[in-house]
Amino acid sequence: MTKIKLLIVDDEIEFAETLAERMELRGIATQTANNGKEALEMVHSSPPDLVILDLKMPDMSGLEVLQSIKSMHPSIEVIMLTGHGSTASGIEGMEKGAFDYIMKPVDLNDLLEKLKLANEKRSKA
Amino acid sequence: MDAMTENSIRQEQIESFGRLMAGFSHDMKNHLGIIRESNGLMGDIVAMNVLGEDETTIERLKKTIASIERRVCIAAIMLQHLSGLAHRSDTPCSSFLVNDLLTEECTFLERFARLKQVKQVVEPGEDLPSVYNDPSLLQHIIYRVYLLCLEQLKPNQSLVIITGRNGKNVTITFRLNGGSQGNLEEVSFNNLLPAIEKLEGTLKQGGENHNDITLTIPSLSVAEK
Repeated sequence: MTKIKLLIVDDEIEFAETLAERMELRGIATQTANNGKEALEMVHSSPPDLVILDLKMPDMSGLEVLQSIKSMHPSIEVIMLTGHGSTASGIEGMEKGAFDYIMKPVDLNDLLEKLKLANEKRSKA
Repeated sequence: MDAMTENSIRQEQIESFGRLMAGFSHDMKNHLGIIRESNGLMGDIVAMNVLGEDETTIERLKKTIASIERRVCIAAIMLQHLSGLAHRSDTPCSSFLVNDLLTEECTFLERFARLKQVKQVVEPGEDLPSVYNDPSLLQHIIYRVYLLCLEQLKPNQSLVIITGRNGKNVTITFRLNGGSQGNLEEVSFNNLLPAIEKLEGTLKQGGENHNDITLTIPSLSVAEK
């Protein structure tokens, strides 16, 4: 997964930056955005291959950001990040075009596996 | 104030409390997310041994990091159940699976059993129909029956909670000491009867086993209601 360009979008700056650092240690080129607007600007200026997107953010909801990303670049695969107790919000994200979802706190191995699968899907498209 | 207004205020209180708890569990999950990633990053750094520590120190660090990871995972599961438990009171009536509700609640009930040195066992039945009812009222009844059961039990005994199906009804059976104690006292449920009636359910002691206390609720659909 050395050539993957990843964008992590989460309003929890500390979380996004720490996760980004761990991704970098695994050879994944990672950037972070801390709100929906910033994320869309980054997607516009330098489209990533994959996005990890928090569902609940103050400015725009993750679902709104997901729809904007998909309308700009349908090939970008998005994994939703949800802190909710139920899986309903993650499933709603998948219905709106997300590749998959993952619950907080994140299991890194699980996330890496989902990123790998998302990247395979993107490569085949 | 008439009874209807009082009930309505009470319902709003329950909803508010549930939403506050759900918000709390959401925020706590964010904190746990950061703790887990920071701990994971420490683990990555230790694994790369960039600090040049000796073997003993590395092993101690790895052990500590693994311990934090374990506890974060346990806390995350508890918060997930807390979130589910809290969201049950979002609406006065909803369609839900009794096994899901019970799993959430038993996560927190287990503590009461542990403090009394009683073993809690949950045996969820398979393929149970969903229930359309008041989930927070059912949570309340389960909590009260659970405490009544614990009062009957002594250290090293067990409380087995079994869900099942009885025709169109769903049953929750509290089997005291796994059913092995013969002379269980008659438990008084009188103060719970109005709440059970509101669920259109029944609560009975005995039946298949004298040590069973069984709560039965109808599995009506929204349309049937």
